[in-house]
Amino acid sequence: MNRTTSLTRRLFLAGAGLALVAAPLSTAQAAKDSVVIAWQADPQTWDPMRRTNPGLQSIYKMVFDQPMTQAPDLKIIPGLFKSAVLSEDGKSIAIELRDNAYWHDGEKVTTADVAYSFLGRMKAGHKIDFVRVWRNVTEVEIQSPTKAVIKLKSPMPTAIQWMAFLANYIVPKHYLEKVGVEGFSTKPIGSGPYKVVDYQRNSRIVLEAFDKYWGPKPAIKKITIQIIKDPSARVAAVQSGRVDFAPDVPVREAQRLEKRKELTGVIFPISRVMLLQIRSDQAFKDHNVRLAAHHAINKQALSRAFYGGAAVPLSIVAPPGTPGYVKDFEIPYDPKKAMELLAKAGYGPKKPITIGMATYNGVFPSDYDIARAIVAMWKKVGINTKLEVIEQGKYFELNRGNKLPEATLYTWDNATGDPEMFTGYLLHPKLPFSAWKDMKVGARVMKLFSVVDYDKRIAAYKELSVFAAKEGATIPLLQAVTTQVYNSGLNVVRYKNGWVLPQTWSWK
Amino acid sequence: MGSEIAGIIGRRILVALPLILLVSLLVFVVLRLIPSDPLAMAVPPNATKADIEAMRKEMGLDLPILEQYVIWLGQLFQGNFGRSIAFGQPVIKLIGQSLPATIELVLISAILATVIGIAGGMIMFRLRGSFGEQVADASSTLMMSVPDFLWGLFLILIFGVAFNLLPFSGRLPPGVAQPNVTGFLLLDSILTGRFGTLFSALEFMILPSVALALGTAPLVMRVLRSSLMEVINEDYITMARMRGVPERRVIIRHAFKNAFLPTLTLMGVQFTFLFGGTLLIEVIYSYPGLGNMMVEAVRNTDLPIIQGAALIYALAVLGINLLVDISYVMLNPKLRRAR
Repeated sequence: MNRTTSLTRRLFLAGAGLALVAAPLSTAQAAKDSVVIAWQADPQTWDPMRRTNPGLQSIYKMVFDQPMTQAPDLKIIPGLFKSAVLSEDGKSIAIELRDNAYWHDGEKVTTADVAYSFLGRMKAGHKIDFVRVWRNVTEVEIQSPTKAVIKLKSPMPTAIQWMAFLANYIVPKHYLEKVGVEGFSTKPIGSGPYKVVDYQRNSRIVLEAFDKYWGPKPAIKKITIQIIKDPSARVAAVQSGRVDFAPDVPVREAQRLEKRKELTGVIFPISRVMLLQIRSDQAFKDHNVRLAAHHAINKQALSRAFYGGAAVPLSIVAPPGTPGYVKDFEIPYDPKKAMELLAKAGYGPKKPITIGMATYNGVFPSDYDIARAIVAMWKKVGINTKLEVIEQGKYFELNRGNKLPEATLYTWDNATGDPEMFTGYLLHPKLPFSAWKDMKVGARVMKLFSVVDYDKRIAAYKELSVFAAKEGATIPLLQAVTTQVYNSGLNVVRYKNGWVLPQTWSWK
Repeated sequence: MGSEIAGIIGRRILVALPLILLVSLLVFVVLRLIPSDPLAMAVPPNATKADIEAMRKEMGLDLPILEQYVIWLGQLFQGNFGRSIAFGQPVIKLIGQSLPATIELVLISAILATVIGIAGGMIMFRLRGSFGEQVADASSTLMMSVPDFLWGLFLILIFGVAFNLLPFSGRLPPGVAQPNVTGFLLLDSILTGRFGTLFSALEFMILPSVALALGTAPLVMRVLRSSLMEVINEDYITMARMRGVPERRVIIRHAFKNAFLPTLTLMGVQFTFLFGGTLLIEVIYSYPGLGNMMVEAVRNTDLPIIQGAALIYALAVLGINLLVDISYVMLNPKLRRAR
């Protein structure tokens, strides 16, 4: 009798324990109007204009509105601005604001907020990256609560593209003036599809659909974003069903999880490129050596080895699907030609040339492994490489001091896909992004920064990108890929720039 | 006993002050000597040279290192730890928000390590000379050999993924609100009477705290067993047995009490390591504590946070040592008399 009682009690306790630990198991799938996302980084600040950080744009776009936005195929479309028209001289932008846009506190969005975002914050001395993008704004002429003209000191051909790009958001003047930058950075209000209802730093963000949102009402009413920085933990979270969506998981894991019926795994190329930034001097002074280095790299093999073959090999810094892409141009993998070019410069496998190369380790997937593979490919044709790992941010420090080695493995994100933000920024000798300082290419790039006519500009960039590749001014490698693993019950809209926007999702 | 403890605290604080100053100087100087410019992350990529120099001046990074240190120290005494480069907020506020989570995690881990360590040590002692002792010995060696972050991943795979029994990211499930009174989630849940939240929070802490405890507990086990082996042949134990005291009582009341003192010293040292272990465990478990923030600060070269957090870690180590010293005096009458 006693034995039976004891066993029953034990069973009860075990059952209660199991029930306790199993209780939150299905939280991720509990409600069909909510979704749990595993995200790889904490926003750090809720001021969306503060940093030009591509990794945070998706989160900001859930809460805030950009003046212009993009369709999944990268096309620039109206955002908070119903229209934005760049003048022929490129020095003014006539904008019209939506008349049904509201802040999360119920106040109406007006052109006063636009003026504050474009000029007021600059005048108030706010330390935001947005100011550096729009530093040539001289005036915002308010014509009505929905109409205004933004005036610029000099032409800005990519003004409209920038309105859909990094750090370009409209923020509430009345709220910022009331709570200050610090208050806004921790408790934000925006005009986007979701409002922030809870934010625990480095842990989670809870968003709720905003019922007065001007755009299509989100089908998913509640978003919980769990900050899970470790890729293995993100994989575990989505595999166990504790989250519904996990981006940026290792390629092999996405391929493995794709085989499970309840999960969908996708690997797709986005508007981000991997390339070697090149110096025009030192051991790379000779054009033959630079081109030899390019021909010696088997990009297809890199794609197969590190990205499951999904990363598209590139010959210019404009990936397919972007306006500046040139379809029929290729610098092929040809080790024989690489050796011939090196021989012209007086080098070869028996008399190798030595160069330096810098790389990140862990900033983007497989970066260090790619660098090591390139070093091995170069060695075969007669290029010895001293590989050096640098921290993120160190690139600019080294570039400013003219201390970069001959080649640097680099990644460049350009959600807009516009060639100015690819070839233009990466080869503009006066900008800190470019390692290339020679004016043969540089002068052509600089000239294009004032060409306002869109068609002429795009055509010129295509020519320039091909010219730069033939000059060996850049060695584009691959179009980067992103990975997503999610509950198969979700309809996820895939953006070609990698944006993750749950406002466009629904449950099947 | 009260005056003895007060004396210990006083002496410890006297020793601790110059130690903290030394630690702060070391941290400050080392961080400025590493070949990485903190401004690299503080300025946007398109910043001009003039922008960078202006920012360098504003942050005081153009001054000689010792001058920077003196300024920083002066601000510290006013409770100003500086402003985070990445977050743009006061460091003291950021640390204040994340430290309670780490303290709770370390406390729970320490309790778990103590329970597992003491129970394991006693069992190993009881099994001495048998095959069971060899099994227990091998198990404790295995537990010690695996680093805590690997335990962390292993526990996630077993209990989070394979059996899907326990949560492993964050502190609370989606939909459960976090009460905020003192900043300590467990305490706040009790104070606000939200026992459901308390159980949820504890459930989320099981895996990270076990991962941390598994590195510490085997050492406690082994030292306790060795100490018990040493005291078990002492005269007072023989006398107790001759008086007919039952074996269990002999071990618990007589042997354990004396064998525990060296174990306590070891536990003090080990618990300071628990704080270090939180760095990786908090990242793996997406636990919003100081360790997680520190790792992010290192990635961002966010010097003000690294300096502030390093100082807090140093203070925690000194605090734990002080607690061990006090416990030692309370538990050891001989020591009280000697003092």
